[in-house]
Amino acid sequence: MTEALIVRNLAKQFGGLRAVHDVSFTVREHETLALIGPNGAGKTTAFNLIMGFYRPDAGSVCAFGREIVGLRPHDVCIHGVARTFQVAKPFGGMTVLENVMTGAFLRDRHRDGSRANAREAIAFVGLSARESTPARDLTTIDQRRLEMARALATQPRLLLLDEVMAGLNPAEVDQAVGLVEKLAARGLTVVIVEHLMRAVRALAKHIVVLDHGQKIAEGAPTEVMNNPEVVRAYLGSSGH
Amino acid sequence: MPISRRGLLVGAVIAVMAVLPLAVKSSFALDIFIRILLFAFIGTAWNLLGGYAKQFSLGHSAFFGLGAYTSTLMQIDLGISPWIGMLAGGVAAMLASLPIGWICFRLRGPYFTIATIATAQVLMLIFLKLRDFAWGAEGTTIPNLGNAPLMMQFDGKVPYYYVVLVLLLVALAITAWIGHSRIGYYLLALGEDQDAAEAVGIDVPRVKRDIYMISAFLTAMAGTFYVQYIYFIDPNTAFNFSISIEAALVSIVGGVGTLLGPLIGTVLLETTSALLQSWLGNLAGVQVTVYSLILMAVILWRPTGIMGYLAELRARRR
Amino acid sequence: MVEIVAQAVINGLLIGGIYALVSIGVTLIFGVVKIVNFAQGEFVMIGMYITFFLATQFGLDPLVSLFVCMPVLFVLGVLIQHFLIRRVLGLNDLPQIFLTFALSLLIVNIALMLLTANYRTVHTAYSDEAFHLGGLYVPVAKLIAFGVAMLLSALLWAFLRTTDLGKAMRAASQNREVAQLMGINPNRVFAVALGIALALAGAAGSLLMPFYPAYPMVGQVFVLMAFVAVVLGTLGNVVGALIASLLMGIAESLGIQFVGADSGLIVVFLLLLVTLAVRPSGLAGGHTR
Repeated sequence: MTEALIVRNLAKQFGGLRAVHDVSFTVREHETLALIGPNGAGKTTAFNLIMGFYRPDAGSVCAFGREIVGLRPHDVCIHGVARTFQVAKPFGGMTVLENVMTGAFLRDRHRDGSRANAREAIAFVGLSARESTPARDLTTIDQRRLEMARALATQPRLLLLDEVMAGLNPAEVDQAVGLVEKLAARGLTVVIVEHLMRAVRALAKHIVVLDHGQKIAEGAPTEVMNNPEVVRAYLGSSGH
Repeated sequence: MPISRRGLLVGAVIAVMAVLPLAVKSSFALDIFIRILLFAFIGTAWNLLGGYAKQFSLGHSAFFGLGAYTSTLMQIDLGISPWIGMLAGGVAAMLASLPIGWICFRLRGPYFTIATIATAQVLMLIFLKLRDFAWGAEGTTIPNLGNAPLMMQFDGKVPYYYVVLVLLLVALAITAWIGHSRIGYYLLALGEDQDAAEAVGIDVPRVKRDIYMISAFLTAMAGTFYVQYIYFIDPNTAFNFSISIEAALVSIVGGVGTLLGPLIGTVLLETTSALLQSWLGNLAGVQVTVYSLILMAVILWRPTGIMGYLAELRARRR
Repeated sequence: MVEIVAQAVINGLLIGGIYALVSIGVTLIFGVVKIVNFAQGEFVMIGMYITFFLATQFGLDPLVSLFVCMPVLFVLGVLIQHFLIRRVLGLNDLPQIFLTFALSLLIVNIALMLLTANYRTVHTAYSDEAFHLGGLYVPVAKLIAFGVAMLLSALLWAFLRTTDLGKAMRAASQNREVAQLMGINPNRVFAVALGIALALAGAAGSLLMPFYPAYPMVGQVFVLMAFVAVVLGTLGNVVGALIASLLMGIAESLGIQFVGADSGLIVVFLLLLVTLAVRPSGLAGGHTR
């Protein structure tokens, strides 16, 4: 199988703080990888580095065979990597449809084509009823759905989902897990950052654990959960 | 889709604007209408950058002045028609917008605004010093050639009215086209959230740069027109901060990011100004005091402006 | 030559004290409330006119007017926060930029209407006096202005470091959410920040009157210097704004001395642009590359 994402020796410092240090992992195509770790472990920073929002101090990121370090986020997106944000960033004044169309325009410059693709993505996440709602009027979970639809509209091959479960009630979590499963079923390669172990266990067979910016464990769920390093890192943090 | 109804409305408005000079003979009134159309034009140009993309420039006088000086220099030094000078001024402004944008777009929010103010002021100061090249602080009048359409000079106000009307319609057409295209979505998106826009594949710096060029081009054309209309240019007039302010003001009051917002805003503000002038004469500070009160009222109670308020009413009725 | 430079440095340093009062206010508001106060200069102007009024009507020395100006402007700051600023917090850029900008226009033009554009000056016993220190000419009025400015800055610094309210302001400046979780009432903190900032601006106005004329637009020059100093000194950093203001005063003075009297403004603008171009981080909305 080909590699969707190869991260090698990724490092980033902010002032004196080593946010990410010597992190390496590989994501195979079509698999779902979970990136977990206590708060402040560097997970979102890793996403920002992969997407090009930050430039790493060292290391390389290869997506589908191409080095993407140094590319700006929009080029990374063109290359097939999309992300959602931990705190949703909808285009508030635009409707749901307009939001997703903005993403769809990447692959189809014309309004009609882009609208059709957008509607497909909106249907996929179950937001069709809210197509004409201004994004700022959506509930939290609907904004998450919107984030996902908008990212999907760019037709990514690799999707980075940053804590999509945060703040959701159990029923909503189940819905969200279902959505991610559907994504995986479509063949999308997915990397999720998650705190919710229930979701992690349901979605990922391959887990990477970060703590204080460094990778401390990698592997299948059971072996990672039983790893004493991981347990120690989580002592004091709650993992369900 | 209510396109036909909206199309009818727009057509009606344009028709009214087209025949207005035939009905109104007063030179004073025509002057007001010309001012309205001119500032609606400038506001529409500003709106592309400030209204849609939410990059709030208060430095558009830089482009107005560059347009004014380019065409005037070409006219007086080289005898070239201001019609060509107008386009040349637009190009000059476009080129200027590149380095200006390079500096200013490194900043966001209020710091972008401050930077644009600073660049416009620097340009004014430069032209105040350019005595040999561009008449310095004294400025110059342009020779009165009587009725010389090829040199953009006319007898009477009516032709000027039509010139600036065409300019406005061009700007509105460009705005309408952009609003419905991919670029329009991209502008609105980056205006809402630049990082999210990047994440969906929008080349934000490039879009900002492109729209700045268009906005600058159009604003410069207004500068050329204005010199031709008042037969005079000097740095204080051409680069006046009040031009930057009014460009932003009419769009905010009328509704940022809407097609007709700047036009509506201009009608409201310029009419108010004309009324104030007839009641209170030319008392210093009155006009801007009223303008700033209107601006504050809009910001505090109706930040989406007049067009936004109308849209709200329409939505509520559904 | 050395004397010329030394004199220019002294001149610049003294006026730098005034710039400091204005820029500290701007940086305080930006740090705590996260709003750029475009109208800061206008409050200097108000302070100047209050001082002028008290001097001409009641014969009050500007230094005495200081004790009137500062409280009055403090209250004004609290009112402005309560009635205006509070309503645009948490909104996007447009209201936050244009509200204080509109306020600035409003104040200048009301002043223009009511007070006319004429220059107003106050002449005190010490307006023309100067100390002669080793060949250097040190105007008394400017020295007093500098001294009081430094004193007020020191008092503010102490306030921020030692009092609960001051610490609350620093906390709100660094991390609003955490501060709120700790039970700090943001509106109260913001009101105090506005009040202090405007009081400092008013103080600057009083201190300026003995040697600087008042007119409606006078604030605009000072606010420009303030913005440059705030950016140079790092946004939100009070000590940084102070030091940067002093340096800018010196730079401006040297510029006037060696480049030309009317080149001062262009130098400042260029300095602002260069600063903004060179230090975008912290102004670039959060993401570094």
